[in-house]
Amino acid sequence: MTRYAMVADLRRCVGCQTCTVACKETNATPPGVQWRRVLDMEAGEYPDVRRIFLPTGCQHCDEPPCLEVCPSTATQKRADGIVTIDYDLCIGCSYCAVACPYEARFKVDRTEYAYGARPMSNERHRLGDEKIGVATKCTFCVDRIDAGLAAGKVPGADPQATPVCVNSCISGALRFGDMDDPDSAVSRLAAENQWFRMHEDQGTGPGFYYLWDNGQ
Amino acid sequence: MSAITSYTQVRPYTRGWLALMAGLGAVIAVALGAVWHMEHQGHWVTGMTNQVVWGLPHVFAVFLIVAASGALNVASMGSVFGRVGYQPLGRLSALLAVALLAGGLAVLVLDLGRPDRLSVAMTHFNFKSIFAWNVILYSGFMAVVAAYLWTMMDWRAKRFYKPAALAAFGWRLILTTGTGCIFGFLAAREAYGAAVMAPLFIAMSFAYGLAAFILVLSLSFKMTRRSMGDALPARLVRLLGLFVAANLYFTALHHVTQLYFAGRSGVEAFILWNGGIHTALFWGGQVGLGGILPLAVAYGGCGHAPRKRAMMASVMVVLGGLAQVWVIVIGGQAWPLDLFPGMEASSTFADGHVHDYAPSAWEVMLGLGGIAIALVVTTLGITALRLLPAHLGEATGSCRSPD
Repeated sequence: MTRYAMVADLRRCVGCQTCTVACKETNATPPGVQWRRVLDMEAGEYPDVRRIFLPTGCQHCDEPPCLEVCPSTATQKRADGIVTIDYDLCIGCSYCAVACPYEARFKVDRTEYAYGARPMSNERHRLGDEKIGVATKCTFCVDRIDAGLAAGKVPGADPQATPVCVNSCISGALRFGDMDDPDSAVSRLAAENQWFRMHEDQGTGPGFYYLWDNGQ
Repeated sequence: MSAITSYTQVRPYTRGWLALMAGLGAVIAVALGAVWHMEHQGHWVTGMTNQVVWGLPHVFAVFLIVAASGALNVASMGSVFGRVGYQPLGRLSALLAVALLAGGLAVLVLDLGRPDRLSVAMTHFNFKSIFAWNVILYSGFMAVVAAYLWTMMDWRAKRFYKPAALAAFGWRLILTTGTGCIFGFLAAREAYGAAVMAPLFIAMSFAYGLAAFILVLSLSFKMTRRSMGDALPARLVRLLGLFVAANLYFTALHHVTQLYFAGRSGVEAFILWNGGIHTALFWGGQVGLGGILPLAVAYGGCGHAPRKRAMMASVMVVLGGLAQVWVIVIGGQAWPLDLFPGMEASSTFADGHVHDYAPSAWEVMLGLGGIAIALVVTTLGITALRLLPAHLGEATGSCRSPD
């Protein structure tokens, strides 16, 4: 089996937002819609307080709350763990947006471009009518993964088959791969480090692992 | 009240009838214009955002849908619980239930991101989704209540009257439970995610539905010059008081439970203390106007005749109910998700702070359109069919309850 997952090493993330920009450039999300974002957090207690940058977005959960509430089966989970939205089946009820514990869902209400009325080339190619009035979210760049697999590439190892946020990360904080493959980078990182997942108490089984060592 | 109730249709095309229909038609036309604008431009013209995704149209829709199931209670009182005094009201109760549901669903559907895909929602069901179950429950409610109404009107179907009444009563309880569970199943949201949402919504439906019924009954009798004694409104307003008290009880239970849960004190402080418009609507609208004042009118001093008291209390319950649904729907979304408990989180994308929401005029128009649709359906129903009793006793003008 394959279980694609993302790993974010919070000891490495410097909050540069390059992943945010790369995602926006690649997926041409309109202003106000950000599939990959970075939280700015404070942890600890005075005087031992630390600032943490935490990349987040859709967690591609094992038990996605968005999938459970979706009335029209628009939200689906693939065998490899990637949660997808069929834009043609979404009715735009927004129940998934309210149900998601990670605030990862966005509804796009109009065709809006980053710089005025004229689209940039990426927006012209990626922001189509099918995404208007429906829920959208991070796809783990599923089209890159599928195209890369078809070309014999390995997601997480070959950039052509890897999400762009991971490719763009300047410090190597973001990694991607098959968590069921013990030799993959994400599996090894998870095995060798302390990690947590967001809202694991809710039983969603997120596919996003955060490496964190409280002692450091 | 006579043992045999005679029902008569409302005479159409009178000056009052035409004025009413013209007024309601104008409201619906404006609402349709608002829908066209919102769908043509996109929801960015509304006050809704990606943080507050359900806005004022949902407040109206939820109110109407919840009131629909409650409006059927009057019929159930007569048929299921054998209260003879309520039996003449059964037909109007069933019609109003269908009408309110039609109005609520119209608003809900027209506010979807893709209302053109209603057929998709009706043909692709995710049976793990309570939302999908509600689509079935709402459709089934229409059918069950239509059958129930038929058994009330056709003497040949009299043997099905009791089974239909029981089915309709059971269905309405499940329907409101389903509506409450839309919020109760949202574990991610601190303001929701509680089993008490289901009984709370049932209590809300009892109060809203009866209030709507009293208003429609009183106004239709007044406009068609039908006589109504004091016994019925006195009984109805006391029953309304009971339902309002139940609503207050479950509201208190909900908030006390929330305060008891670790990690939910923030959202409770927001709703109860420092949430601005949401706090004002909770205490002033929901608790004061929609709770304490109607209780005082129902059970308090006798300054007015029962019919007037019933009308006053019902108006308060409707306005307070809209405030209550606002607090639940919008107040609950305005409070940000606790992405990392115990940590302060922020980002450039609306994380970690209270979300603003101000309804646009388009949303107000759509919501009012739902109410107008309900009233048009009701008016057409009592015009086309013999649903309205010819009289309900003689008015005495006394403020004292005869029973």
